[in-house]
Amino acid sequence: MNGEAAARVPVQRDALRAPTARAGWRIGAGAAALLAFGVGAVAPQYVASDFILKLADGGLLLGILALAIAFLMSQTGLVTIGAASVYGGVGYFFAIGMTEWDLSPLAAIAVSMVVVILYAAALGALIIRTTPLAFMMLTLAAGEMISHAVLLEGLRDYTSGADGLVVSFQGTLFGLESGDFTNAARFWAIVWTAAWVAGLAAWGVRRSRFGAVLRATRQNEERMRFSGFDTYAPRLAAFVFVNVIAGACGLLHVLNSGFVSPESLGLGVSTNALVAALIGGTATSAGPLVGGLIFAFAQDEFGARGFTQLLTGIAIVLFIVVFPGGVVGALDAFVRGMFRKRQQESD
Amino acid sequence: MIPLLIANSLALASLLVMMSSGLALIYGLRDVINFGHGALYMLGAYIGYSIANVAGFWVALVVSPALLALVGAALEYLALRPLQRRSHIEVALVTLGLGIILGQALIFIYGGEARTVEAPPSLAGSVTVFRLTYPVYRLFLIGVGLGSCGLLALWLNFTTSGLHIRAVSQDPSVARMMGINSDRLSFLVTSLSAAFAGVAGVLAGPYLSVDPGMDVTMIVSCLIIVVIGGAGSIAGAIVAALLYGFVQVAGSVFLPDLAALAPYALLMVVLLVAPRGIGRGRAPA
Repeated sequence: MNGEAAARVPVQRDALRAPTARAGWRIGAGAAALLAFGVGAVAPQYVASDFILKLADGGLLLGILALAIAFLMSQTGLVTIGAASVYGGVGYFFAIGMTEWDLSPLAAIAVSMVVVILYAAALGALIIRTTPLAFMMLTLAAGEMISHAVLLEGLRDYTSGADGLVVSFQGTLFGLESGDFTNAARFWAIVWTAAWVAGLAAWGVRRSRFGAVLRATRQNEERMRFSGFDTYAPRLAAFVFVNVIAGACGLLHVLNSGFVSPESLGLGVSTNALVAALIGGTATSAGPLVGGLIFAFAQDEFGARGFTQLLTGIAIVLFIVVFPGGVVGALDAFVRGMFRKRQQESD
Repeated sequence: MIPLLIANSLALASLLVMMSSGLALIYGLRDVINFGHGALYMLGAYIGYSIANVAGFWVALVVSPALLALVGAALEYLALRPLQRRSHIEVALVTLGLGIILGQALIFIYGGEARTVEAPPSLAGSVTVFRLTYPVYRLFLIGVGLGSCGLLALWLNFTTSGLHIRAVSQDPSVARMMGINSDRLSFLVTSLSAAFAGVAGVLAGPYLSVDPGMDVTMIVSCLIIVVIGGAGSIAGAIVAALLYGFVQVAGSVFLPDLAALAPYALLMVVLLVAPRGIGRGRAPA
């Protein structure tokens, strides 16, 4: 709460300045973002090794999933630990759609995203009204049910049980071939673009009236209802929104790895994404994406020695207790502090 | 068939009851679900295993809970109390992180393979009750589980400190206004809950096994139970644990393929009918 109040101060200062100065500032920020996007999409292919790129691809995928979790956490106060069930489940539908139902890649994507939307709407309609704790447990329960369901004997012909499915497509998808997704360097440009699209979408929603309604409902649902706001539909829409992000991320993951297995549905993926969100900071859209990258590289460093889980535990405690805003939150506070000090000196 | 089923589900439920009533107690006082409770149970089991190898099962059953009570006190002083002004979901995540660290440390010390603990000679073998032949150890387990529940209920309902705990669980701010020191109660309750986890851990040794995955299995079951029971409601947790034990055991007998799904299905069904769980937990703040 205190952090939010402090963060509001510079915004008010901005508002007091002349409108032209604000417009100039916006154009500058937009140009800088465009430049960062362009350089980030192209440069790593020439600088980084294939191994680093592969890690970064995985990290950014995890970051997009973390973005979905962080958005729901910061806007509605609800924590989901079943995000992996959508992330992995969508891959199964994509694979089965192409091999069993003879769909084109694009149609298979459309079908699997429709399934995600229907699933999220149905599940959300049932569980969004419960308490935050029960919500967390129910997303866990739904996720575990799905990951057990994939292993059922009756579905073995479709899902191949614990072996998983190989996913590859013929022809082109959005003008890209199958190899573009599996090649670490070329996939980087794709996942980088996806991360920007998802990040900007989440950022836009946060700043909209819809985001304000969500945050107000999180703070005091009763008062919002009393003031004549619907507190149910917006939260349901937010739940569907984050599941669409998680589903799109899962599709990218499957296209990249060419493989979908029960592990991608598991609790491990969900907790990794949650940790990535905490590392980066849940309050911004960039935070979880950065967190995903940090997590992937840290996991590579410690995972080889079998300390991945220990790292997860330590990261959770450290980032909640010491750096509650995550890496991006801490940087943001630091930069704002510098900015304010300079302004005070010039005043 | 049916009596055996009931006896088996009671045996499983006894462990679950000891764990989930502890979780519900902490939740009542601190509004925090202790995700590290499974790791405390695992710690209790491994300490119990080590002591049982040296000094025997009965010593382990006394010493391990005593040590766990100290760990609980440390948890209260080092984590729950300093963080009590933070958002409750964040503190719950901190306990999750601490639990993972503790679990990994135990795996590091004891290695990854499963260990077995022998039941003491006086509890080995089987007895025949009402034409049902049943292992003595499981009867002992049921006795300890339900007995500790009974003691807990007596304490909560007939002593002053029990009255205060119920008061804080129902309405923390009013209870504090009436002069109840909830910090001191929380210290008592957290240590007691950890000691219960220690008892459950030692008892689980001869009944299940002592292995690296035991903390996750247990905490997932307990979380489901606490949510079904209505968070913060101890009576609800006890009823839910019995229900859960029965569904789990009956599921593995009648529908072995789907048994893994049974607890989740139970959770879904209960919460769709009664979104706040079956017990009378606290109204959300």
